[in-house]
Amino acid sequence: MDRASLKEQFERILAEHGPALSRLAYSYTNSLSDRDDLLQETAFAIWQALPGFRGECSERTFVFRIAHNRAITYLSRSREHRADPLEEVEVHDPTPGPESEYSRRQRAEKLKLAVRSLPLAYRQVILLTLEGLGYKEISNVLGISESNVGARLTRARQLLHEALEKRK
Amino acid sequence: MITDVELEIWREEWQTEEAVPDSLRKNVERQSRLMKIGLVSDVVVTVILGGGTTAWAFLSSDSSVVLVAVATWLFLAAAWIFVLITNRGLWTPAALDASAYLELSIRRCRSALHTVWFAAGLFVAEVAFGLSWGYLHLESRKPALQWLAFSSIRMDVVWILTTVFFASLLWYRAKKRSELEQLVRMREETDGAKEIRASLS
Repeated sequence: MDRASLKEQFERILAEHGPALSRLAYSYTNSLSDRDDLLQETAFAIWQALPGFRGECSERTFVFRIAHNRAITYLSRSREHRADPLEEVEVHDPTPGPESEYSRRQRAEKLKLAVRSLPLAYRQVILLTLEGLGYKEISNVLGISESNVGARLTRARQLLHEALEKRK
Repeated sequence: MITDVELEIWREEWQTEEAVPDSLRKNVERQSRLMKIGLVSDVVVTVILGGGTTAWAFLSSDSSVVLVAVATWLFLAAAWIFVLITNRGLWTPAALDASAYLELSIRRCRSALHTVWFAAGLFVAEVAFGLSWGYLHLESRKPALQWLAFSSIRMDVVWILTTVFFASLLWYRAKKRSELEQLVRMREETDGAKEIRASLS
């Protein structure tokens, strides 16, 4: 594949999976600048791996596998190995009134913080599930069996419930 | 196939984050940098002015200089209280989505507009105090109005600085007001688009 086609494919991948990659990076980092660094590293890794991608798996699996590998490298490099949830952020409501937008954002923020607080093995599985990946894709991304994915997901959901309860 | 309702709700909440437009994000980041610089400048000004007038009061044989030091610390305290209150919750967006960035920008703009009024009031109080203190310490006392009206180079500087200060404040206020109008318009458009999306889904 020539460079122009690679570039085109790379840009399409970023446009398509950018928000998911950003959410994923956010779940492994402690600040916006770290998230951006990890996102940049992931994008670079995708660019490097793209010429070798022969379609053995779906493009989504390929992208998420790279993103997860970069996140693991980031975590092993970072001084704080354990899940270190961001401080509880106070979501200000500048326009008090109907529940809608404000509470939606607050719930989403609580969910993100709760996911961040899970142990790595469970965080990975729930993250990919929330991004819409099925058991098979998750098992391909993480290199574990599908039954293992199922077991981890059940436990991850229990832990997520507990984490959300604590934040109520 | 049984739908897992809980997982669907979580998935929806997880994925609702809207991408933050680059320009908005850069603007917020630039403002955050400026806020940090502003905070450092405030500390420097406090050390220089507060420390300077305190040292002057200790070294001077004139007892009224103590009044200058006390007044300076009062002005500094008022400024710090205002800064700490208005900057609260303005450092980071509440979430990493476009709405949170937009809200933060709007709140920063409103805070900047409040700051304009506070800065004007504080400046007037400081100048009034400085002029009164200066006038009472004149060796040969002239009538106050004559003294105030460009009687010396020092007074010329005071009025020129005052004019420049208020002109800058007016310019800054106009800039922030137009920025605020633009941001509010953007929020209305975003909310409108959301409603349309919601009604279609």
